[in-house]
Amino acid sequence: MAPILQVRDLGKQYRVRGVADVNPTLRELFLNLVKSPSQLNGNGGQESELLWALRDVSFDVNAGEVVGIIGRNGAGKSTLLKILSRIIKPTFGEVDIYGRVGSLLEIGTGFHPDLTGRENVYLNAAIIGMRREESRRKFDEIVAFAEVEKFLETPVKYYSSGMYVRLAFAVAAHFEPEILILDEVLAVGDAAFREKCLKKMKQASVQGRTIFLVSHDLDAVQKLCSRALLIEKGKLLEDGPVAAVSETYLQLIAERKSKRSDR
Amino acid sequence: MLPRQPLIAIRASRSPVLAQLKEAFAHRELLYFFIWRDLKVRYRQTILGAAWVILQPLLTTLVFTIFMSRLARVPSDGLPYPLFAYTALLPWTFFSNSVLTSTYGLTGNSVIITKIYFPRLIIPAAIVGVRLVDFLVACVVWVGLMLSYGMGFTPRMLILPVLVANLTVFTLGVSSYLSVLNIRYRDVGTLLPVLIQLWMFASPIIYPLSLVPPKWRLLYSLNPISGMIEAARASVFGLPLNWRSLTISIAVTVVSFAVFVYYFCRSEENLIDIV
Repeated sequence: MAPILQVRDLGKQYRVRGVADVNPTLRELFLNLVKSPSQLNGNGGQESELLWALRDVSFDVNAGEVVGIIGRNGAGKSTLLKILSRIIKPTFGEVDIYGRVGSLLEIGTGFHPDLTGRENVYLNAAIIGMRREESRRKFDEIVAFAEVEKFLETPVKYYSSGMYVRLAFAVAAHFEPEILILDEVLAVGDAAFREKCLKKMKQASVQGRTIFLVSHDLDAVQKLCSRALLIEKGKLLEDGPVAAVSETYLQLIAERKSKRSDR
Repeated sequence: MLPRQPLIAIRASRSPVLAQLKEAFAHRELLYFFIWRDLKVRYRQTILGAAWVILQPLLTTLVFTIFMSRLARVPSDGLPYPLFAYTALLPWTFFSNSVLTSTYGLTGNSVIITKIYFPRLIIPAAIVGVRLVDFLVACVVWVGLMLSYGMGFTPRMLILPVLVANLTVFTLGVSSYLSVLNIRYRDVGTLLPVLIQLWMFASPIIYPLSLVPPKWRLLYSLNPISGMIEAARASVFGLPLNWRSLTISIAVTVVSFAVFVYYFCRSEENLIDIV
């Protein structure tokens, strides 16, 4: 079977500059020009350091696979998801995707506090990439899933935080692209709602949807995913069945801990 | 069946500007939603929502009528000054509000644009779209003013939609450019109100073109706003149309739009790294 997503030698490099000239003002630009006209095209003589957020990452994913991405904070997981979601551009490498991508790096992106629940469902659906016809068709289902029927005409600023996340997640969960990218969004609501979300995601994968999932909740990753990618310091350390990769990840954490306590 | 060509190809190199524009066009439904959101929020939040849209150019007209016409005795080509000024202040308000709001469009929406992908051009386009609706609402007052001064509507006014279209294109170009520039240089937004003020005085909005010395007219008409305002007044008040300055205005609009949007698309992909 041909892969639905191919990642080749993906790399992202950030230039870490002196804080002062990250976003210069016109005033500073002008002052610098007066002080040292020769440095206009340089970076003001400040050392800039290159940082690899992601380096030499390659993998293929087949349709219907549920892939967990694990790694410690700052390992490069979010950078990878953001590149796959087209929010940021890679510095090197390429990705070919043979399907629609829906990415939920945050739930409720673009929710407007002054709009009602109903209005926010349509707005958020459009922002995450649903067609109007699609959100109209699924509207009742979304509302039922979120359990907010009574408050549809209430501005969401009056919602409890539980209602808010339930509604936001419900919109997301009813989006049905071929590839779904989720960043820590399963960790919402109470235990019962979380269970419902996991079930919904399972169902999606059974229907042949491909899912990428970043989570610090190793338990959720193991429940949902068949395969996992371990990312460490921007590199793909291990790619394999979820059980084996989680094992490596736990070892990695244990090693760090003992190293720290040795010091 | 999977398509043989990837639906989405992510590359380190820049995507062609034309492909980016196509992509933006494919997202026009989102543009509609953003415009709908802003209108809904504004017109609901304040009962004055709709009233503000009408009041802003109206009050400005009142102020200028008192200070420019009554006190400073600025001529208005023999036309009633309030109508003379309002006809120009209406489109000017559309332009200046769009530009001022768009400058903070990308920085203000950073929460959305760092979390979800869509063509960023949608953001300035939505802001201009909202202001265009405001402009059309405020036109109702203009029609009222016209009637109250006993002015008739003539076929010559059919040029007005063309002028509005031209102004919208120019406004969108400038707005896109400034929204990016404000990310590059954070003080653009601070400087802009002053520049906009100067720009207004460099356009025949609160005074007639006849006050500008003839030897400066060509330079003056390089400001596309000037040609559009002149043409609008000419068509409304039945004055001779200055084809030269209108042509210059349209040419400057087209060229600046192309340059600004090109610049926007070029910068768009790396914006997130510095936003």
